[in-house]
Amino acid sequence: MRTAAIIPAFNEAESLPAVLAELALTVPDHDVIVVDDGSTDATAEVARAAGATCLSLPFNLGIGGAMRLGFRHAFESGVDRAYQFDADGQHDPSQIAHLLAALDHADMVVGSRFTDSGDYRVGRSRALAMGLLRWMVRLMSGQRFTDTSSGFRAFRRPVLEAFATDYPVEYMDSVEALIVALRRGFTVVEVPVTMRERTGGVPSNRNLRLAYHFVRVLILLVAGTGRRRSPSSLRSAAQ
Amino acid sequence: MTGTTHALLAALTVVAVVMILRLVRLQVLKAKYTILWLTVGLVLAIAAAVPNLLDWAADLLGIWYQPTLFLLLAIGFLLLLAMHFSYELSRVEKRVRVLAEELALLRRDLDDEQG
Repeated sequence: MRTAAIIPAFNEAESLPAVLAELALTVPDHDVIVVDDGSTDATAEVARAAGATCLSLPFNLGIGGAMRLGFRHAFESGVDRAYQFDADGQHDPSQIAHLLAALDHADMVVGSRFTDSGDYRVGRSRALAMGLLRWMVRLMSGQRFTDTSSGFRAFRRPVLEAFATDYPVEYMDSVEALIVALRRGFTVVEVPVTMRERTGGVPSNRNLRLAYHFVRVLILLVAGTGRRRSPSSLRSAAQ
Repeated sequence: MTGTTHALLAALTVVAVVMILRLVRLQVLKAKYTILWLTVGLVLAIAAAVPNLLDWAADLLGIWYQPTLFLLLAIGFLLLLAMHFSYELSRVEKRVRVLAEELALLRRDLDDEQG
C-alpha cells in the first residue's frame, strides 16, 4: 500500500528541513509531496534537496489551493492513502501511525487537538469561533467533532479522488472539507493527537481575517449549497 | 430640467462618448463590453439631444423631481454591471487557479523527464 504525506508549504525553508528529516526517519517508506505554494524563499530547493517530490505553484493560492493540488498529484500517481502534514513542525510524526490505523475503518480521519490526549491551548476568541463551528458541524451532520479545523488529517483514495477536484480553496479549508466529505457520504472519524508548538513561520491567523473567514464559512454552512458544484472540466483532464 | 442640468448632462455625454469611442478604436475592450458601453453612450446622447425626454418620462412615472429618474436609471445600471463583474471575476479567478495547478503539474512532469 502506497502512503503519501502532503505538505503544503509557503515560505517554510527554515523549518522544512527538520520536518522532512524527521519524516524520513519515522516513516521512511512514505512518499513525501511538498506543495510549494508560491514561496519566495528556498522552500522548493530545500524540499528537492531532501528528496521530496515538490510541486511549485506559480503564485500563492492559499492552503486550500495547495492541498487540492497535492490531492490531485497523490491521486494521479496512484497513492492509496495520504495525510496532510504541516511544514512548520506543528505536527508530530509519531502521531501519523494513529491516523493511519484509524483509516482502516474510515475514509477520512481527523487528528483532534482537544480530546483527552492533547493539551493544545488557543486564545479566547479563537476558542469561541471554534466552538461555534463545532456546534454548526454537529447540527449539519449529526456527528460530533471536537476539532473541526485541524489540519492533521488522513484520507483514503476515494477521498483523494473527490478532493482532487472538489476541495475548498479558501482559508479554513478544514471545516469546509469536513462538510464536503460528510455530504458526499464518506465516513469521517476523529482520533486524539498531540501537537507541538510551531517551530518557524508566522501563525496564519490574524483576528480580522479569522473573523471574515469565520462568517464566510458560517454562511456556507447555513446556505448549504456552497459545495454542490458539478465536477469541473478538470476531471477529464485528470484521467 | 433646468438649463444648467441639461448643460451638465450634455457635457457628461460628450466626455463619455469620446472616451468610449477612444477605447473602442484602441481595441482595448472586448466586443461585448464595446457594445455595452456604446449603448450607454447612445442612451446618454439621446437623453442629451432630446432635453424633454427625461422630463416626459419622469412625469409619466409620477416622479416629481425629474433628475431623480436619471439617477435611478444610472444607479440601477451600475448595480447590474457590478454584479456582472463580480460574476465574471469569480469565473476568471477559478480558471486562474486551475491554470496554476496545471502549470505546477506540467513543471513536475518536466522535472521527471529531465531528472
